[in-house]
Amino acid sequence: MADANTQDKREIPYVMAINEGVHQIMQELDDTFLLGEDVAGVGGVFGTYRGVLDKFGPERAIDTPISEKGIVGLAVGAAATGLRPMVDIMFMDFLGVCMDEITNQMAKMRYMFGGAATLPITVMTMGGAGMSMAAQHSQSLEAWLIHLPGLKVVMPSTPYDAKGLLIAAVKDDNPVIVIFNKLSLGIKGEVPEESYEVPLGKARIAREGTDLTIVALGRMVYEALNAAEQLAELGINTEIVDPRTLQPFDTDTVIQSVKKTHKAMVVHEAVRFGGMGGEIAAQIQELAFDYLDAPVARIGAPFSPVPFNPGLEQAYMPNAEKIVAQAKELLDR
Amino acid sequence: MSRNSNQGPVGFIVNPASGKDIRRLVAKASVFDNQEKRAIVRRAITGVSAIGVNEFYYVPDTNEIAQSAISELAGRVSAHAVACPGTSSALDSKIGAIGLKAAGCKVIVTLGGDGTNRAVVSGWRHAPLIPISTGTNNAFPVMVEATVAGAAAGLVASGLVPLETVSEQAKLVLIEIENEADDLALIDAVLTNDRFIGARALLDSDRLQLAMLTRASAASVGVAAIGGFIQQVSTVDDHGLCLRFSSQGRKLRVPIAPGLYQVVGVESVKTMALGESVTVCGPGVLALDGERERVLKPGQKATMKVVRDGPWVIDVARTLHQGAAIGAFELSDTGDINAV
Amino acid sequence: MKELTNEILNNLYVCMVRIRLFEENAGKLQENGKIPGALHMYVGEEAIAAGVMAHLSDQDQITSTHRGHGHLLAKGGEMDKMYAELFGKVTGYNKGKGGSMHISNLEVGMLGANGIVGAGLPIAVGAAFSNKFRKTDRVAIAFFGDGASNEGAFHEAANLAAVLKLPVVFVCENNGYGEFTPQAQHQAITDVADRAAGYGMPGVVVDGMEVIAVYEAAGEAIDRARKGEGPTLLECKTYRFYDHSGVRGMGFNYRTEAEVERWKKRDPLDLFKQHLLDQELMTEADAAALADSIRQEVEAAIEFAENSPDPDLSTLLEDVYTN
Repeated sequence: MADANTQDKREIPYVMAINEGVHQIMQELDDTFLLGEDVAGVGGVFGTYRGVLDKFGPERAIDTPISEKGIVGLAVGAAATGLRPMVDIMFMDFLGVCMDEITNQMAKMRYMFGGAATLPITVMTMGGAGMSMAAQHSQSLEAWLIHLPGLKVVMPSTPYDAKGLLIAAVKDDNPVIVIFNKLSLGIKGEVPEESYEVPLGKARIAREGTDLTIVALGRMVYEALNAAEQLAELGINTEIVDPRTLQPFDTDTVIQSVKKTHKAMVVHEAVRFGGMGGEIAAQIQELAFDYLDAPVARIGAPFSPVPFNPGLEQAYMPNAEKIVAQAKELLDR
Repeated sequence: MSRNSNQGPVGFIVNPASGKDIRRLVAKASVFDNQEKRAIVRRAITGVSAIGVNEFYYVPDTNEIAQSAISELAGRVSAHAVACPGTSSALDSKIGAIGLKAAGCKVIVTLGGDGTNRAVVSGWRHAPLIPISTGTNNAFPVMVEATVAGAAAGLVASGLVPLETVSEQAKLVLIEIENEADDLALIDAVLTNDRFIGARALLDSDRLQLAMLTRASAASVGVAAIGGFIQQVSTVDDHGLCLRFSSQGRKLRVPIAPGLYQVVGVESVKTMALGESVTVCGPGVLALDGERERVLKPGQKATMKVVRDGPWVIDVARTLHQGAAIGAFELSDTGDINAV
Repeated sequence: MKELTNEILNNLYVCMVRIRLFEENAGKLQENGKIPGALHMYVGEEAIAAGVMAHLSDQDQITSTHRGHGHLLAKGGEMDKMYAELFGKVTGYNKGKGGSMHISNLEVGMLGANGIVGAGLPIAVGAAFSNKFRKTDRVAIAFFGDGASNEGAFHEAANLAAVLKLPVVFVCENNGYGEFTPQAQHQAITDVADRAAGYGMPGVVVDGMEVIAVYEAAGEAIDRARKGEGPTLLECKTYRFYDHSGVRGMGFNYRTEAEVERWKKRDPLDLFKQHLLDQELMTEADAAALADSIRQEVEAAIEFAENSPDPDLSTLLEDVYTN
């Protein structure tokens, strides 16, 4: 890494990208602090906050009781009085414990107060299945959050986005929920050493193609990329859109892609019924109906809690094979 | 052992408000939550029943402490409520004491502090009392295990131990207030230069003007300690003490409340013979047994004197010793001692 | 203890009369259909807001409840912008987007009434965190009711504040009812302050109808917080003279007329007024003159609100986000 030319090509795992982002933004903004369960003393149960306590001290890295309502409520009060809280909700499933603070306080305080309150809060949480953590530690609940005016929601898939979206989220003056993915923690990718932002609300084209648009959320981007390789062998050239931010959603990038490929599929790990895929599909048919050669396909988990048994869990989760099968069906039409 | 025809019920008065006031903040006073008070009542009743006395009267307090303790013993004891206005104030204890007297109680067990017992005595001046401390400024009630206190109450209520052999009549400060109802204090009556009752507790030594004490002990807390640092007055001494305060006077470091020492300037100390009176004048506030109770308007006079005309306070240890000596805890063949 | 100067006594009295007259008139306006939505009045509980807020500056913060007008008035809220908000007018503190249940003014440290019972406590803990983070001696106060003390938010906030030793005072306005359910049916304790022990903080009970009692106890709790000694749970026993919501309420038969009348005999305004008269610190003529001047303030504020415009429909989507 001593060579300047190789620095830009540095590859680090997703978990390290998060960690580096946390360190850099806390270094840059001294009104930030990190709050949550086991974030300080042990550096987060996933290692995402390792070293934060040593570097920033106990005033800015605070271990809390297991009290999600208290944690998010504290963040609302601290933000309303001028600080920039970074709070961790260890597993996304635990949002259920603090949903009042998310829904009725954080999301709408600014509006209810006629614009008088500014709440630059970042809530970092970990979603997704695949580790046999069973039904209460594996969910993808982003649909709860995108439905709440006042919140921004990001879902980084790559190490690059994990760091860049996190830094952008903390700098944003609105409450932002950052949904990391636990199965992605070890995935390596290019991450610049310096601080940078991935702008909120901007999708990225993860793979360019001409025959089919797959909008994939979070880790499903990797499954879609894998599927695209298999489809390429069949002569199908797939374009993959990674929205990166779910709220506000970059509709334009999706529509531009669909207008080019004329076929669309949405893939997310969340339960299909009532998931984000329905919203995206609806937007595509509203804005690009005349360009569509087939109905928009949706892939999500079946309508069931996440199972514990590894075999059941694999059957539950969307993957490249399911995407390929669905794509074939879509293109055969 | 034969039952004495003098047998009668035991009364209970619980002050739900004791042990919760501002002294938890200003001083370092103990907290008495209601669960603990309930447990104390329960243990005291067990003690009474161990002597074979199973008839109780109680004042239904607004926090239902006595009621709930007694309901836990339903069927095993005979318990009756007396009338209580339910004002959540000292008036409840006062009216309750009148009711317990009318019900023929031989002993009253009180749970509270000095203020609680003052209210009880204002309703039943010569009540036979076992005061258990659950309050803050406790010169009058004693720290005693409720089981033992209950047994003492049982011994007296059963007639096995005659009241007059184990009790002494307490002194009082009687206060006549111009154009208003009289009042009394068990330990001390203090004139302060406050204008309001506020949070009640007497906390600020700078405000002290004059104090009449029935007793003074260096081993106590509150205004009685101030007197005690200068001149001890015991419960049996047939006199009281009058202190006048001034910042110019002799400086003493005194525990004005539990865990709170302040400097007090004492200008003069005078031994007061029983019945000898002193008159003070408003504006000011009279703090009685540590609580700001009565406001004196500008020009309004109050006259105070120490008398020995108070309740009969039962010495728990002496009662138990006497009970043991007469075999009150021996199980005879006929088994006439019933324990709950 | 801070000296109770005549100025403080006067301010306490003025504060209580302002709340009383503001609320009585708000109630009438709602009856007349001029104020839309729900209106939870603070009448009967004025001594608490007045006694606590007398120790605070604009830099100190409070969080309030659905019964929040009194808190904002005592914290420095102006009647005209408050009535305007209750009317839903654009000149209101929340530009007509919050109304009675969300009324707020961050400039005086009032972080909002709240429609969710108990939700204000963790927010106050957050404000207290800010105060400590910035090494100030500011305090945050969370007002809440006996009903809220059964919410998880109460317990999480109390524990968090105690373990982080934050400068916050939890002021329980125990009016004996959680909406329409009497306290004896919603918790097995009578003194909410007893819960303080479970969190390792002092709990104090005070007569919420006596403003000087509240003033003294709140002063001690607030001093303690400012000195970095941590939180306090201060329970004020009080009563709401009107129903849970509105003047006539919802017509439920859940408390007796006799009970209401008994508490009205301990009207905090009457009690304090009598103390001031007894101490010759005020005359009946002074009290009448003061009430007249506040009535004029109320009338002018209502007129301002009535004459203010509604928010333009184009503002519907403003203030959801900062940009």
